[in-house]
Amino acid sequence: MKIHRIYGISLRYLFYFRHSLDRLSDVFYWPTIDLLLWGLTSLYFRSQLTTNANFIVFSIISGIIFWIIVWRGQYEITVNILSELWDRNLINIFASPLKFSEWIISFVILGVIKAMISFVFASAIAYLLYKLQIFAYGVYLIPFILLLIMTGWAVGFFVAGIILRFGSKFQSLAWAFVMVFAPFSAIYYPVSILPDWAQRISSLIPSTYIFEGVREVLKTGNLDLNKIYLSLLLNVIYLALSLWYLRNSFNKVLDNGLVKVD
Amino acid sequence: MDILEVHNLTKNFGNFTAVDNISFSLREGEILGILGQNGAGKTTTIQMLLGVLRPSSGTINYFGKDLQNNREEILEEVNFSSAYTNLPWNLTVKENLTYISYLYDIKNRVERIKRIVEVFRLYEIFNKQIRSLSAGQITRVNLAKAFINFPKVLLLDEPTASLDPEVAKHIRDFLMEERKKFQVSIIITSHNMVEVEEICDRVLFIDKGKIIADDTPDNLAKTIEICHVNLLIKDGLKRLEDYCEEQSLAFKIDARHIIVDVKEKKLGSFLIEITNSGIIYDEISIDKPTLEDYFLGKIKITQKHENT
Repeated sequence: MKIHRIYGISLRYLFYFRHSLDRLSDVFYWPTIDLLLWGLTSLYFRSQLTTNANFIVFSIISGIIFWIIVWRGQYEITVNILSELWDRNLINIFASPLKFSEWIISFVILGVIKAMISFVFASAIAYLLYKLQIFAYGVYLIPFILLLIMTGWAVGFFVAGIILRFGSKFQSLAWAFVMVFAPFSAIYYPVSILPDWAQRISSLIPSTYIFEGVREVLKTGNLDLNKIYLSLLLNVIYLALSLWYLRNSFNKVLDNGLVKVD
Repeated sequence: MDILEVHNLTKNFGNFTAVDNISFSLREGEILGILGQNGAGKTTTIQMLLGVLRPSSGTINYFGKDLQNNREEILEEVNFSSAYTNLPWNLTVKENLTYISYLYDIKNRVERIKRIVEVFRLYEIFNKQIRSLSAGQITRVNLAKAFINFPKVLLLDEPTASLDPEVAKHIRDFLMEERKKFQVSIIITSHNMVEVEEICDRVLFIDKGKIIADDTPDNLAKTIEICHVNLLIKDGLKRLEDYCEEQSLAFKIDARHIIVDVKEKKLGSFLIEITNSGIIYDEISIDKPTLEDYFLGKIKITQKHENT
């Protein structure tokens, strides 16, 4: 593993990002729009409710902010892989000494950086507009962020594997696939309101335990650590499986030639 | 010393065999041309040599080490340029060269990029995005990229395609200079036979994935017995045309110029016979067989086999 190579390939994606204003909007624009839409909607609910009004408002706004981490974690992986396909650049980078693992690490690093930028930005907006202090979650913020980004990576690696294997005709998965998990992750509402069959699916999604945990901390100030352990266990399993699938897809692509991936 | 050794390399895509059990080597400082028709297996071979396509069987050894097990170490010393691959379109030339330089273990990156920009005349386009460049400019950037890591082995797939003749000549001179100074070994595929003849020490001719010839350009050309007789006819063009048809000699006419393909052995009798027929010419020149003749001859044979 060589630092200069990880730096080099990360630079490639940062340069790409610099020239893509649409991707800049993903970091700032959409979080702001989400916060405005959902935040104002929940303020309206607060005016209509007599009990638990603040809890509902803050749990929805927290849901928006924490979901950004999952979204960005997967988005950095899938869109950067897509950019290589669009540019037909895979042959250039893999005819160099760059290792597959170094390539993956660059996605992880960029995912963390951009998730943090979006997270801090959205948290600041939430404080300014709704007086929600995200740092009130205290030390729990660390496992929340870490486990949510792991979920994002697992989804991202799996989608990247599909895109590598089947080409950019599956590119819409880069934006859409992670949203399949949103209703089951109970981002804005408790799992208990879901139908039984959906609750069973929810129990298999690592981010569910984090969003449940967010609401628990908001309500009681404490967190049942079992939620963290379960989320970690599921994340480790899914990350291992998705990385295996991505590596397998890459090997498959090597059999047909990197130049043929488009 | 052999810097690259390829043994029994084969690549199958399903039932189709793109490269069929080929073996060859590349010496230090040697320039090896790979020729063949489109689809012969040249690019597939180059891709396997770069490690971006997995062979079905066979081995590739650089510097005595197996590519599969020593990929990073070997690719530090290898680079490539192809007219058929892209660089990221929305990155500038500077950004492309910068990020690529970090993929290699280069000591002084800034100096190296400066030198490369100078050699490949990239000053004016250095801060331009690839998308805004002409095909020739992109080829120059691709070549610059290929030299960024001081490679010991260079794989060039149609490197001077879409370059104007002056720049192509400049690039050829640079390749020869690099070879002379640093003993760079080069594998080059090209459809420009003059270029291959000029710079290659040895040529592999590939047909349907198999090596059907491996020799110097001169020796390959010598296997062709036919030479080209160029005549500027003063009188008797029609008679000469009839004579060629009668003798089944291939010929091309352009106004008063005629080029007749004649077997070297029969050159003397050909000249005597047309003189005896009263054909008068103002100018005559005789071109010896070239690599292009060899190439075209092989293609004809292949097509004949396919038709029968």
